[in-house]
Amino acid sequence: MDCWAAMTEQTFEGRLFGPGLPGTGAEAVGSWNGQGCLRVSVEGTPRTELLAENPAIAAAGFNAASLRITWEDDGGAYAFVIEKDAARATCGVSAPPGIASRILSASGSRECLERRFRFGGVLLALFLALPLILIGVFLLNSDRVADWAVKRIPHEQEARLGDLVLAQTRLQMKILDSGPAVDAVSAIGSKLTTGSLHRYRWFVADRPDVNAFAAPGGVVVVFSGLIRSAGSAEELAGVLAHEVAHAELRHSLRGMVKSLGLRALVSLLTGDVSGGVFADAATRLTELRFSREAEREADDEGLRRLVKARIDPNGMLRFYMKLASEGRPSPPPLLSTHPATGERLERLRREVAGLKQKWVPLPIDLTSLK
Amino acid sequence: MAMDVVDYEIFGSEMQYVEVELDPGEAAVGEAGVMMYMQAGIQMDTVFGDGSQQQGGFMGKLMGAGKRLLTGESLFTTVFHNEGSGKRRVAFAAPYPGKIIPVHLSDIGGTLICQKDSFLCAAKGVSLGIAFQKKLGVGLFGGEGFIMQKLEGDGLAFVHAGGTLKELVLAPGESLRVDTGCVVAFQPSVDFDIQFVGKIKSAIFGGEGLFFATLTGPGKVWLQSLPLSRLANRIILSAPAAGGRSTGQGSLLGAGVLGGLLGGDD
Repeated sequence: MDCWAAMTEQTFEGRLFGPGLPGTGAEAVGSWNGQGCLRVSVEGTPRTELLAENPAIAAAGFNAASLRITWEDDGGAYAFVIEKDAARATCGVSAPPGIASRILSASGSRECLERRFRFGGVLLALFLALPLILIGVFLLNSDRVADWAVKRIPHEQEARLGDLVLAQTRLQMKILDSGPAVDAVSAIGSKLTTGSLHRYRWFVADRPDVNAFAAPGGVVVVFSGLIRSAGSAEELAGVLAHEVAHAELRHSLRGMVKSLGLRALVSLLTGDVSGGVFADAATRLTELRFSREAEREADDEGLRRLVKARIDPNGMLRFYMKLASEGRPSPPPLLSTHPATGERLERLRREVAGLKQKWVPLPIDLTSLK
Repeated sequence: MAMDVVDYEIFGSEMQYVEVELDPGEAAVGEAGVMMYMQAGIQMDTVFGDGSQQQGGFMGKLMGAGKRLLTGESLFTTVFHNEGSGKRRVAFAAPYPGKIIPVHLSDIGGTLICQKDSFLCAAKGVSLGIAFQKKLGVGLFGGEGFIMQKLEGDGLAFVHAGGTLKELVLAPGESLRVDTGCVVAFQPSVDFDIQFVGKIKSAIFGGEGLFFATLTGPGKVWLQSLPLSRLANRIILSAPAAGGRSTGQGSLLGAGVLGGLLGGDD
């Protein structure tokens, strides 16, 4: 090997370590010749110049970020460390082919380290973000989760929850357990609920509001104001059908599960409904608003039940239109909890118009109740 | 950026402080809270970031401050500027027993990698950055964590180490095994790696942990004999409040004497 062949013009800066040099290294300039020899010169007095034959090359230093060229000669072991990116590039470009490939493999091992570090970082970030992602997924799928959970709540639990709601309601308003109004309501209601798994109980609340609600487990409370404003038994039946549909489809349970979240879910599944979670929830249940989707479902189901009981569904339609057209400053509570949008009315009208069955008039006279 | 050349003097033996002399117009940056005293004429100014790039944009400053937060230091550094007409002195004290290491960054190639949290003060213009330990094994088991501090510039910087300091130069290829946690600082040309202690028996019962840190030359390394965490551990262990023994204290019948008789000295 001829180390005295002409050096290339391209030089690169680095630090030279070795015998006779400061322990912390000295600034030096290196260059390659065509035969794969490295010449390193250190500026200073006296100017030192070293020649390295066939040196070893490796990625080294902190994070393997620098290129280390090592060789031994009579004086001892030397190392030329190139830290700066630009100098490393020059070193790679100007090196003869045999050396260049070794420099390439050294930088390859450095890139491997970088990749592993980045991979580790991503893994750590994922690990830290995992709970957040899970919560996000849960929130996005809360509808489905609520449905899933509601399907698994046993009927007995639902009935107990209904009792709780009833008890809470009794504290707030006067509830009639019996009487002609209750008889009329339960007569209509039982026609609508034939074959239901729930044991329905019908109540009338002595309140002037036009309202009605169905608590879980078949507790239906009709406000006397609603009975008063209903023009016929069919109109009352329409409202009852809608409320029964809410109960059958377990809409209030679903709303409750969604709003209370996991806490409610756990106690419902374990059967512990005595906790304070529910006392609070039960009071709010009467004011629970359903989604537009739920209302549509309840309309359809209510209509289906009316048709099955051979009750004229035009009563339902009439009552809704009556509610919607009344231009009172404060809408009746039934309207605020069951928003009768134009779209819903239109839909109901279409459905009812399509029905051509024979209806059996209800043998109940509401005028006597008023 | 031109670095300010500062003269200094280190006082004390085991609990040291460094007194830095500033010429008119010169400045030094200190870790927030380490200033011990300063003479009249020195203006103290707290800057956001590391004070090395006063002209840098807002985002640049924010980045610098974020990095400092990562290395476990405060968001702000304090710049001590000599506004007087003569030489003025300001002193910075080490926060725990140990040694202060003066490092001329220009002598070692401009960059020093050191343990996070070990920076004490420097000539204004030295930039305090972070250097992520990218070798995963070293980051996990090397005793210094994944985040190290990088001091860059060509001025003087002071770094603090616990216990007694060992300063040594590794020749090319020369390697040294060090207990993890004892590495304070090294030149970037030094390979910092880990090595399994060798035997399962030593790993479990040897008390040195699973790995040694290995330092391979060329370059200069600084080691500390007593990492602060080790000192803190011992103090907690022997603190009476934490259930330790109160050797040499208490009454004749107290736990002090009895404990001392039974337990011997540690």
